Amino acid sequence: MITVFFFGPVAERIGAREMKVAFRPGLRLQDVRDELAAQYPQAFEIACFAAANGEHVRDLSLPLGDNSEVAFMARFSGG
Amino acid sequence: MKAAVRIQQEDFSQDEEIRALQATSKRIGGIATFLGCARDFSEGREVSAISFDAYGSMALSELNRLRSDAIEKYGLLDARIVHRIGTVKGGENIVFIAAGAEHRVAALEACRWMIDELKQRVPIWKKEITPQGESWVTPHP
Repeated sequence: MITVFFFGPVAERIGAREMKVAFRPGLRLQDVRDELAAQYPQAFEIACFAAANGEHVRDLSLPLGDNSEVAFMARFSGG
Repeated sequence: MKAAVRIQQEDFSQDEEIRALQATSKRIGGIATFLGCARDFSEGREVSAISFDAYGSMALSELNRLRSDAIEKYGLLDARIVHRIGTVKGGENIVFIAAGAEHRVAALEACRWMIDELKQRVPIWKKEITPQGESWVTPHP
């Protein structure tokens, strides 16, 4: 199972901070994004960054292992 | 002693942070600091408070990496970063960055670099709370 986290404006648009996506061999970060973006297009309009297991990911072809934690995030506005 | 990098709800003391930085080395000849505060006015609107959300574990790990990168890049003797989350009222502190180096130029440049990098790479989001409602902040370049 893959755990997907949402924060700030993305979480608000989705109405949840966490959800689960079934793992399957060969699953890539892009697949998870595509699946969720189809369900929550308004949230994914602003989700321009991704992370896997707490690290920034720029290449969404990253293969995911089972029990991975991923996040799709809006531009940061800390500081 | 408190950790050099922290994310916390409560306010912080600049004096304590600077003292902690000074205590790390007597070779420090200059300390540059940046204090980010909550403005009570933004984009023509009154702002009563700012609410911060963060991907806590990743934000802390990115802040630690940022500190290490700054120490290496600018040859700092030490650096500290504290960022608040939760609700911060207008006029209150948000973020404190301090860079200690043998000489002022490295300290000043590192301090500027750290706050600029923090805005680019640390997963924290701010929402302005105004009498007209709440809205997430779109980052400035």
